[in-house]
Amino acid sequence: MSIAGFEVEVDRGGGLETEEMTLNMGPQHPSTHGVLRFVVKADGEVMRRAIPDVGYLHRSIEKISEKVGWHGFMPYTDRVDYVAAMFCNQGWGMVTEKLADIEVPKRGEYCRVIAAELNRISSHLLSIGTMILDIGAITPFFHAFREREKINDLLEELCGARLTYNYMRIGGVAWDLPPGYEESVLAFLSQLEPMLDEFNTLVSDNTLFRGRCAKVATISAEQAISYNLVGPNLRASGVRYDVRRDEPYSVYPELEFDVPIGLGMAGEVGDSFDRYWVRFVEIKESMKILRQCFRQIPAGPVVAKVPRKLKPQEGDAQIRIESARGDMSWYAVSDGSEFPYRCKVRTGSFAAMSIIEELSPGLMLADLVTVIASLDIVAPEVDR
Amino acid sequence: MATVLNQYVRNVFDTAAAVFEGMAVTCSHFVRTPSTIQYPDRTDVRVQDTLPYRYRGILEVDLEICTGCLACERACPIDCIVIDAKKDKATKQMMLNRFDIDIAKCMYCGLCSEPCPTGSIHHTPEFEGADYSLESMLRRFVKEPVAAYKPKKVEDDPKIAPILERGMKYLDEFAAAGDEIEAEAEA
Amino acid sequence: MLQEFIDSLIADGLFGGLPRDVAYLIGMLAAGALVVFGFVLNVAGITTFVERRVWARIQSRVGPNRVGPQGVLQWLADGLKLLMKEEAIPFAADARLFKLAPFIVTIGFITAFVAMPFSSALIVADLNLGILYITSMTSLVVVGIMVAGWASNNKWSLIGGIRAAAQIVSYEIPAALSIFTVILITGTLSMQSIIQQQSWLPWDWFIFHNPFTFIGFFVTFVALLAEGNRTPFDLPEAESELVAGFVTEYSGARYLFFFLVEWGNLYVISAILVTLFLGGWQVPMIPVITDSAFGLNLLQALTFVGKSYFGVILIMWIRATLPRIRVDQLMTTCWKYLLPISFANFMGTALWVLIWPDGFLPAELLMTALGFGLVGYFFYRVAYHLRRSGAQITLSPLS
Ligand code: SF4
Ligand code: SF4
Repeated sequence: MSIAGFEVEVDRGGGLETEEMTLNMGPQHPSTHGVLRFVVKADGEVMRRAIPDVGYLHRSIEKISEKVGWHGFMPYTDRVDYVAAMFCNQGWGMVTEKLADIEVPKRGEYCRVIAAELNRISSHLLSIGTMILDIGAITPFFHAFREREKINDLLEELCGARLTYNYMRIGGVAWDLPPGYEESVLAFLSQLEPMLDEFNTLVSDNTLFRGRCAKVATISAEQAISYNLVGPNLRASGVRYDVRRDEPYSVYPELEFDVPIGLGMAGEVGDSFDRYWVRFVEIKESMKILRQCFRQIPAGPVVAKVPRKLKPQEGDAQIRIESARGDMSWYAVSDGSEFPYRCKVRTGSFAAMSIIEELSPGLMLADLVTVIASLDIVAPEVDR
Repeated sequence: MATVLNQYVRNVFDTAAAVFEGMAVTCSHFVRTPSTIQYPDRTDVRVQDTLPYRYRGILEVDLEICTGCLACERACPIDCIVIDAKKDKATKQMMLNRFDIDIAKCMYCGLCSEPCPTGSIHHTPEFEGADYSLESMLRRFVKEPVAAYKPKKVEDDPKIAPILERGMKYLDEFAAAGDEIEAEAEA
Repeated sequence: MLQEFIDSLIADGLFGGLPRDVAYLIGMLAAGALVVFGFVLNVAGITTFVERRVWARIQSRVGPNRVGPQGVLQWLADGLKLLMKEEAIPFAADARLFKLAPFIVTIGFITAFVAMPFSSALIVADLNLGILYITSMTSLVVVGIMVAGWASNNKWSLIGGIRAAAQIVSYEIPAALSIFTVILITGTLSMQSIIQQQSWLPWDWFIFHNPFTFIGFFVTFVALLAEGNRTPFDLPEAESELVAGFVTEYSGARYLFFFLVEWGNLYVISAILVTLFLGGWQVPMIPVITDSAFGLNLLQALTFVGKSYFGVILIMWIRATLPRIRVDQLMTTCWKYLLPISFANFMGTALWVLIWPDGFLPAELLMTALGFGLVGYFFYRVAYHLRRSGAQITLSPLS
């Protein structure tokens, strides 16, 4: 049979026989957060499989490190995960410091934590904002971005850039806190609180939103561990693991904060709503950390004396930090020269990508975007 | 049966209540002040003037206080600064023949302005860099060869003193500037 | 009416010696063009502008404000831009159907205006089937959407088209059932008679006639939202799932037509609601203004359009608030919730009319009080949210 000039196979046997449809979602699709691609095998509205296809945003960042040197690589780390660049800055700084045996001054560490936690709030705001946008409500997205914009302003005041911060240096940070910074951050935090409550009224308590997320793509704790999920995705499945608490680095041992886990508020532990909710609670935890930081920050220098021609001794080092998307590990090898011999970044989004294929059978097409958004996949972080 | 009916009515009521509350929140936004900045022409002051001091915009070089030390050229990870500084044999003067910054390549990372001893190379709050061709994005700062600046204990030239003061003030912002130079001297 | 008007023009010798039928045809076409260009296009266009501004304020933005004073001509600029754009027809598409689809959709939408009452005199044709005619014409839109989805030969479009068909056909039932609760009271389908049986006093409106119509109003509202593909039921063009649904492959003028219908439909939906439940064009008799027929009609038309526009803004506001629901939830909402409720309403109203054929004033007053009480509580909540956020307040809608 020919319809619209195309040969169409029609099954004339008895009963309702349906054909599997292959859908190509991405790389240019409005809700793939950058350039991701999924090959979706769908049976009508129900997916049989969604196969992720990575590599569309590969920029060879790890290779670049071998050409630009220890100091020069810092601005490139901003591009590893441009939504949460502070963590990548910190990761590179820490791994180099470990290689070259550099001690960061206390105030420098506090500056790092302040910048990183501000960045964590902005990253989570973006994540929950885009999640609700993908689910179809437009306003909460703008409200989240309005608050994120204020953080961008604060970070701009701190380091002169809104997205690619390049704030940290090997041995500390580039700039001390500007005068009056504490007041502006605390003022921001105190006005963020009612905004979050309002966001709750508008989004989290909304039955339509809960209906879209509850019991969608539930990840059990075993599954999460076996797929190596990290960060909020892992915690949403009920595993209380946070690098900041379990393998403390920087000044986190001196700070008090809770590690929220998924409670199954809308349905099951580990469903999309839990992932959303864990991020939401983490914003509040970060606010708590920021307030403590400003109370505890000592005076002193913010950066150690590091030679401009840095030559760490031969060897390798590996560190882990808790980025906004979870356990991020940096590995660097030095051959004693001015340039790293090898650098490797392990990011959370890549692992999160791989679990989608397992989660997808039986989900609706519309759920796929919910899952991508709730796993908080940021395309540049997947490929680097 | 009763529980099923109960649940049914509850579902309807919950949804209605959620919609009601949500609409109350959005309604309250009808009268809130919008937070848009109507760049470029409908702002009270130029947006550039509202940016913080540390803002990393398009680079600018004050040739009057450039010592020709090439520290910035070395620091730049993508080699978008090209400096040609030679000692003039006759006058024993460091001459700057060329000082180009390719702002099309520059990623505004700020690594170049950090090691500058006089704050000659610095970021401005300008960010409007759009242009018609790539060539015009190459900023050539040296029009004709000039003598490089020689640092003095106290700057007495009334023309240069304010520029140097600005440069040093700019350097003060960097936590590391002074220290690193010392460290380099030790190394 | 139109026919008499043309007759009088013929009598004046305006059409020369043309045969009567040709004169009618010309007259009809002229009137149609007047309606389409004079009202429908403007309504759809201005609605897009209003929607963008309303959204903007809800989202802490200012919205379009550059083209013309306060940006009121933005919709014209957008429309002209789309008209001047090149129209791309995909190579693999069924070109004939692809070209036809926007017109089917537009016909379904524009013909609904034929029976739309703007005032006691201003109506193209007061059909005795009025409301039935409008609901059936607006569901013609689904044919166009299906055709568009199929002819584009794009899987996303196809899914959008199929979703639209399933959705509109399902929601037709609760919509019709709850519209018929009103018909039970009026005993007529004619739009004008329905309005004439109400008055400008709120407790004479059918929404407050009895508890069942009160619920019926919301059921109709939800069902019509779903029929008009509006959030939370905008699945056929869910931009985060299906790129742009059935309009994915369209560009230029044909895309404009879909646009037009989508926004024009807002007006149709709220006009139906205003006619059925909110007293239509009924106005109080203010001696000076309503003494002349012109003054009366003008006031009525303003009231009707004003009420409808309130409905339009309400729909936009809902769209700005709620997320989209999923296909299975869409069907659950329709078959498990709206349908039983509208059945119950239907039976309840039938009983009510049997007991009190002329309405029961205490109940009407009570329902009115309830309705206004809800509105009052709503504004109390709004004030609460405003106070809690501690945000700055700007009352002026200008920017
Ligand atoms: S800002 Fe960075 S990229 Fe630009 S010239 Fe300076 S060092 Fe090079
Ligand atoms: S701009 Fe500064 S760092 Fe660059 S050559 Fe001149 S003095 Fe040296």
